[in-house]
Amino acid sequence: MYPIQGGDDKLDSLWRAYRAACPDREPSANFMPGLWQRIEARRSFSFSFERMVRGFVTATAALAIAIGVYVSLPSPTPALETSYLEALAEANTLDTPDNIGPVRLDWTEPRR
Amino acid sequence: MLVEFDVVRRAQQGDSAAFNDIVLAYRKRTMGTIGRLIARTEDVEDVAQEVFLRLYFSLDQLRTPEVFEPWLYRLTVNAAYDYLRKQRRRPEFRMADLSEQQVMMADAVAGSKVEKDERQQTKLRETVNALLGAISESDRVLLLMKEVEGLSLRELEKIYRVKENALKVRLFRARQRVLKACGAAERQNENG
Repeated sequence: MYPIQGGDDKLDSLWRAYRAACPDREPSANFMPGLWQRIEARRSFSFSFERMVRGFVTATAALAIAIGVYVSLPSPTPALETSYLEALAEANTLDTPDNIGPVRLDWTEPRR
Repeated sequence: MLVEFDVVRRAQQGDSAAFNDIVLAYRKRTMGTIGRLIARTEDVEDVAQEVFLRLYFSLDQLRTPEVFEPWLYRLTVNAAYDYLRKQRRRPEFRMADLSEQQVMMADAVAGSKVEKDERQQTKLRETVNALLGAISESDRVLLLMKEVEGLSLRELEKIYRVKENALKVRLFRARQRVLKACGAAERQNENG
């Protein structure tokens, strides 16, 4: 380990020595081409992602419109032409339920 | 400022030549700062490219060219911090991990004076690195920006967007921890 003897002053001199041991460095010849390559890679990635998102949004909007149009169109099936109450009345006509007759009550006193 | 405000403005409007001028003007200084913050020479260029990559995609968020330098420092600090955090998760490869033959080869290569100086500097970097291991990555970056980069509290306030007093407290605590680690290392040197 690099020799250090405690205290604030020593720490300050350590910082100075560290500053001197790490001077500003010259970048390599590959720095700028490498940087532009990374920029292009990020840009093309975000471009294709953006295109994908845009495509997805368009498809969703088209689907929503299609569903809206389909729902709003009058249905050719007769079942949908009748109202809810009409359908209910048709399914439960008054003469159909045999089991729902008048209640018979036996008023005779039980024999003892 | 190492470039005119107009160059920053043009780069903000998407002028690639202006952006190139900014990188050419600031890359050396940025690499120096990163080198001191991360203390690993082999990764400095990669982190510096990351800084300028972030700059390229965030230039439109810059309000005025007058705050360009604190903005670039902020990006530098963030990239160094991200790198240090990733490094902590990754196992470190040190001289102790090398085989005997590799160490002998490394020693033979490091025979000349220039290489001896380089070894001394490496030792110093390792020492500072070890001492800074006593504090968090964010405090390490803050402390180095103040003590080694020589930035004032006012400049740090602009970079960190934190009140001066809060920075003072953080710096004081970080320095105290490093001093404590210094004392411990000193005692270890005396004993062993």
